[in-house]
Amino acid sequence: MSLLAVKGLQTSYGAVNVLAGVDFEVAAGETYALVGESGSGKTTVIRAIAGLAPAQEGSVRFNGREIRGLPERRLRPLRKDIAMMFQDPVGSLSPRLTIGSLVTEPYRIQGMKDRDLQAEAKRLLEMVNLPAHFASRYPYQLSGGQARRVGVARALALEPKLILADEPTAGLDVSVQGELLNLLNDLRERLGLAMVIITHNLNVVRHVADRMGIMYLGRLDEEGTTEDIFADPRHPYTRCLLSANPEPDPDARLVRIALRGEPPSLLNRPAGCEFRERCPFAQQGCTRTPQWETEGGRGLRCLAPLKSEQAA
Amino acid sequence: MSDTLLELDCLSVDYETSRGDLKALRDISFDVKKGEIVGIVGESGCGKSTLISSILRLTAPNTRFREGEIRFKGRNLLAASEKQMRDLRGADMSIVFQDPMQTHNPVLTIGRQMLDIQHRSRSPKAEKLARAARMLGALGIPDPEARLKQYPHEFSGGMRQRIAIAMALMSEPDLLIADEPTTALDATLEVQIIERLQELQREMNCAVLFISHHLGVIAELCDRVVVMYAGAVVESGEVREIFHNPKHPYTRRLIDCDPGHIKTRARVLPTIPGEVPDLAALPQGCVFRDRCTQAMPHCAAQVPPLSKLEEAHHAACWLNHGEVPA
Amino acid sequence: MADMTVELQKKTRSELGQILTGVARDPLGLMGLVIVGTIVFCAIFAIWIVPYDPVAMNIKDRLQGPSTSHLLGTDQLGRDTFSRVIMGGQVALKVALPAVFGAMAIGLTLGMIAGYGPRWLDNFLMLLFDTIRSFPTVMFALAVVALVGPSLQTVVLVVMATSIPTYGRVARTQTLTLQNSEFILAERSMGASMARILGVHMLPNIIGVLAVLAAMDIPTVIALEAGLSFLGLGVKPPTPSWGALLKDGYSLIRQTPWLVVGGGLPIIVATLGFTFLGESLRDVVDPKLRKQR
Repeated sequence: MSLLAVKGLQTSYGAVNVLAGVDFEVAAGETYALVGESGSGKTTVIRAIAGLAPAQEGSVRFNGREIRGLPERRLRPLRKDIAMMFQDPVGSLSPRLTIGSLVTEPYRIQGMKDRDLQAEAKRLLEMVNLPAHFASRYPYQLSGGQARRVGVARALALEPKLILADEPTAGLDVSVQGELLNLLNDLRERLGLAMVIITHNLNVVRHVADRMGIMYLGRLDEEGTTEDIFADPRHPYTRCLLSANPEPDPDARLVRIALRGEPPSLLNRPAGCEFRERCPFAQQGCTRTPQWETEGGRGLRCLAPLKSEQAA
Repeated sequence: MSDTLLELDCLSVDYETSRGDLKALRDISFDVKKGEIVGIVGESGCGKSTLISSILRLTAPNTRFREGEIRFKGRNLLAASEKQMRDLRGADMSIVFQDPMQTHNPVLTIGRQMLDIQHRSRSPKAEKLARAARMLGALGIPDPEARLKQYPHEFSGGMRQRIAIAMALMSEPDLLIADEPTTALDATLEVQIIERLQELQREMNCAVLFISHHLGVIAELCDRVVVMYAGAVVESGEVREIFHNPKHPYTRRLIDCDPGHIKTRARVLPTIPGEVPDLAALPQGCVFRDRCTQAMPHCAAQVPPLSKLEEAHHAACWLNHGEVPA
Repeated sequence: MADMTVELQKKTRSELGQILTGVARDPLGLMGLVIVGTIVFCAIFAIWIVPYDPVAMNIKDRLQGPSTSHLLGTDQLGRDTFSRVIMGGQVALKVALPAVFGAMAIGLTLGMIAGYGPRWLDNFLMLLFDTIRSFPTVMFALAVVALVGPSLQTVVLVVMATSIPTYGRVARTQTLTLQNSEFILAERSMGASMARILGVHMLPNIIGVLAVLAAMDIPTVIALEAGLSFLGLGVKPPTPSWGALLKDGYSLIRQTPWLVVGGGLPIIVATLGFTFLGESLRDVVDPKLRKQR
């Protein structure tokens, strides 16, 4: 049984249909990456899972139990098992609290009065390789990388089963980014955590994710193991995304597949395949609406999937 | 001399703060030739923003130019009057900022704003508008005439950054300063904009100073690269030299850290442990010494000079000096 | 909730020092600090400072000019003006401080609830605030005084009631802005209760702005109290109030200008002092300005 199973998740703000039915599952200990352009609904997915964004339709099962639409009172005990990390490393830390108070905040919220909070703070900071004296600092005194590690420490305080991380490497320098990813990889192995990571940085995905899903306009367009997707992208959008990854080598032979135009407005979704107007491989038949089809661990929503060699 | 457009000569800039002088830039020397794209690479705290504001002379009040010169077309900008600088900005040199959402005045239409930046030209309004539309079209904005009537909020981030570039290029500047112009954008838009920028640059033959921490973009776009660390230039040279034959340990490690060239899943990604030193209390000797795995005793004694290794390849590291002075 | 107060205390102690040093560094701020300090000092130790009983009449010595025995002369009943000015300062603060801080506390609470709570509550509270705000303060005060008679408490209550909406609105706007910030979302994702989010995480980020507003509001309230007392609707005679002093002096301005000076000057000085302090506080507390320091 999956640890997290999202099925047909839909979110609308008024007439804007941000999520138009999202399905994916994450097994215990697995890392799943959600990839896509801004506005594709990645952030809304994880916020809806955590009950921070509304979700009008669909189901979110955690450990087999339906948690969509649960009132906060009943959600609170579950929050021990699901931790979140937000995009802005410094901005996601309450600015007037010390780092020590911040990392032990989960104990206070869950009312664990028997804990020695100072000792816990020390243990958590140690776990993310920060010196213990950081406990008395304030968020604005930290660098992006340090603040991010505080965020990780706080997320791990209650030993959750699942971490939902929104762009965990955003705003970090390359030299520090690796440190964070190593830390996450290491903690995941030691603690058996499952993670859902949102990112638009495909280089990051390759090194942390077991499986990945590509989102477009509030839907998954392709899904599979990270290796398979990188080796053999079938959806034209996936291939465009992969080819749009600049290489740190001036002599790299780049085969760019240009994406036409910009994502359409969510208020005015195109008929038929919603990617059609931007698709370099669109065909006549693409005016029909493609369905989500799964086969051999891969999911695809495309009427004219690419063959392995095509356009490579 | 004749083909050098911008030249920074031993520039040192401090910020006066309550903690003492913050040595934001130290001994910066590099040049940009006409029609060339020079990339500035560096991580947070390397002094990129101070560098840009110094070139434009738009510095904070507590800035002190301690030493050196910034020469633009042979003229020292640090000695120019405020009036002369105003005439230069937006005409001979213009800038594109990082955040496309905050670059435009939200209450004026794009057309109005593009007219305003042509205030120096005496051509009739219709002609100016036509120029604006042509420029937007050149940056790949469909139906530019109609879009001139729209307000900034009616455009997406990617569109706004294109408009910002169009506006910066309107005056056909000799130098375009691009401050992380694609950092806030998705990768797909990033490559689109980089490609457009490259095309237009070739067409207009303007020089570009491209600041970025994204090595992939730098490698793709730039002719030459300047690598900065903690307020100093550690290496500069032709783009292939920098990426294939880096001579400073920081450059080498930075390239190693980029996960873009590690094609298989790595269990442990390379990193550069440690922190950038405090610019108000700089250590003796080389600034990178604390984080460098190849540091020698001499590195603590003396700041390595930026010395010429080959034609157009400079690095500031004692490792490149055959005999280390005792 | 216990740890919340501890955290706040720790925080305020270190931060108050920082803010005060910041204010003292600015010349106008320092001036404001000195003036406000003097006024507060005089008000607290008024009984020991005044050379005469401020309400004791001495018809023999009425309407005297300044002299060594009466620094600011005497009024029509022979009361010592200097003593009345000092005691008047106490009265002014007795009105202004509870009125302003009461309004701030209530406005802050209601404003945060309006900003964070459900939409209907927000709508209701905003309607309430707008209704109160649509009453002109002076007219409202006149009406209340006409109903219950003039007294110190009436003035305090009227001023408090009419300034709650201002604080409430500012607190609400700040809450709405903070509500979508990632640190609040992070707290929600951990399951923090509304009381905890508002008290521990929002309050410390909002209170600075409101404190500045309060400091700027105090002179307005002092002037309002003086105005009401001038009209005979504020503090009851013979209690000395700057407004009452001004009123007495106004009718006797041909005989002696000293009463007007005695009543008017402290109002001007106090207004300037609190305004300087408020302006300087705003510069120090403003996070955007503070980052550059």
